[in-house]
Amino acid sequence: MSGSIGILKKELRSYFYSPIAYVILGVFLFIMGVIFAKFVDIYQHFNSVQRFGGGQGITLDKLATYLYQNMAFILCFVTPFLTMKLYAEEKRQHTFELLFTAPLRKFDLVLGKFLAAYSMMVFMVLVSFIYVFFMILWGNPELPIIGTTYLGLLLALACYVSLGGLISAMTSSQAIAAVWTFIALLLLWLLQSLGQGITAKTGFVEWGPLLVFLSPLGHFNSFSEGLIHVKDIVYFLSFTLITLYFTHCVVESNRWR
Amino acid sequence: MIEVKELTKKYGDRTAINQLNFSVARGEILGFLGQNGAGKTTTMKILTGFMPASSGTASIGGYDVFENPLEVKRKIGYLPETPPIYPELLVTEYLSFVADLRGIPKSEKSKKTDKVIELCNLGDVRRRLIGNLSKGFRQRVGLAQALIHDPEVLILDEPTVGLDPKQVNEARNLIKGLRQEKTVIYSTHILSEVAATCDRIIVIDRGNIVAQEALNTMGATGNLIKTEILVRRIGDNLKQRLSAVSGVKGVNIISNGTHRLVVESEAKEEIMAEVSKVVVESQSGLIRMSPVQQALEEYYLSLITGKGGSLS
Repeated sequence: MSGSIGILKKELRSYFYSPIAYVILGVFLFIMGVIFAKFVDIYQHFNSVQRFGGGQGITLDKLATYLYQNMAFILCFVTPFLTMKLYAEEKRQHTFELLFTAPLRKFDLVLGKFLAAYSMMVFMVLVSFIYVFFMILWGNPELPIIGTTYLGLLLALACYVSLGGLISAMTSSQAIAAVWTFIALLLLWLLQSLGQGITAKTGFVEWGPLLVFLSPLGHFNSFSEGLIHVKDIVYFLSFTLITLYFTHCVVESNRWR
Repeated sequence: MIEVKELTKKYGDRTAINQLNFSVARGEILGFLGQNGAGKTTTMKILTGFMPASSGTASIGGYDVFENPLEVKRKIGYLPETPPIYPELLVTEYLSFVADLRGIPKSEKSKKTDKVIELCNLGDVRRRLIGNLSKGFRQRVGLAQALIHDPEVLILDEPTVGLDPKQVNEARNLIKGLRQEKTVIYSTHILSEVAATCDRIIVIDRGNIVAQEALNTMGATGNLIKTEILVRRIGDNLKQRLSAVSGVKGVNIISNGTHRLVVESEAKEEIMAEVSKVVVESQSGLIRMSPVQQALEEYYLSLITGKGGSLS
């Protein structure tokens, strides 16, 4: 355990010593800021239309759901930048030799690295709490729904980060790790539409729902609508644990080559 | 301290090391000599538990490398060929990270870090980024990393490559200073390196051990040594008079340009003194008298080129 804390500390240091953490945080918050501004715009527009008796108003909660679904998607783009170096860089710098010849369990190594990238992501997401503050100030959001949304985000991020780590462990190039992580996360999201499409068009009822279930999108969406299903929690946790286990295997297998 | 039995490693079809057998006693400095690609690094990586062997066993301090990797790793300090450093960290941060990896308790951390910084002469650069250090300093940071937990066994893979002559000397002295305290395996392809530092050497060639012995007996024919003598002229009966000195086994006169003699004799100081006295008395005009040191080099080359080279 002390080993993973050592790894965690070192990884966090590396993040903040290079410009990458600041750049990513800045870009992420900028994009989210643009989306939030748009969100406020739409909210005001619908409300003014409603005030003059035209059509139905849009609830703040409905909009917040869209906001956070966007955020969960944008985090797919952010994740590769934080996870790409986790293992690839160690391989390139020949520092695996240090880690593997120290009395450190491989599991501690994998856990430490996961926690480092995960805490960076969590930190980013927590900064977005400022939107909640604005919503409370000028609207009347349902706080429990926001709570479940954040729970969903934290769970989804664990999946993203563990997958990014796994891919980084498979290559010694950061760029390749980033590209593949991005592709993998995007494909996972698209599984939802793919599965629905298959069910609707071909009638393969066995495969369609399975693909839909494998995508994190639906699982996250139920959190963002205020629902906590055990199956969603199980999905995210088992996804993360299995991916971490695979990472452990890949790291271990590096020694055998 | 270190026992290696029938150790073999294959990369696919290629055999990197083939049935190595050797052992290293506590407090000994073992030189691991061989050309590039002979299997030195592979052997070291197996000993440190970085990679498993295809067959055979290796144990360190009584613990099997494969069965008790954590115990073995606690006893070993390892400096790989490329120093395992993080360019974005300060020297002190890096050493503190290694101390964490090694499980050194917080209370001892700063004491141990200071100790290796002093030992490896890193005081001036302790607050600098490793990425900005020169090759020599990086190598020393690597060495500090290997020493921080005060290991019983040190495994150093070409620790002096890329250092300037002064730094090479410092590194050698540092390693020699560890004699008795620690067991050291030291790989190199530079012969003079071994002669200057090690107690015993193992010569490895294409994965096989081709020689394994204590350094002071290596390359010598029995207990005889050769001495080269340069003179201005060959005096009267010089050859006969030298041959008559007790302990001298042979005299060869090689005259090309200056007059050169090679005297083969027992390795005793009295004999040397007597030989010099005879040369001076014969009015030959002694210019220089020096031991022939090529023996080790010649012997080594004969081993790795496979042209015989037997030891008596």
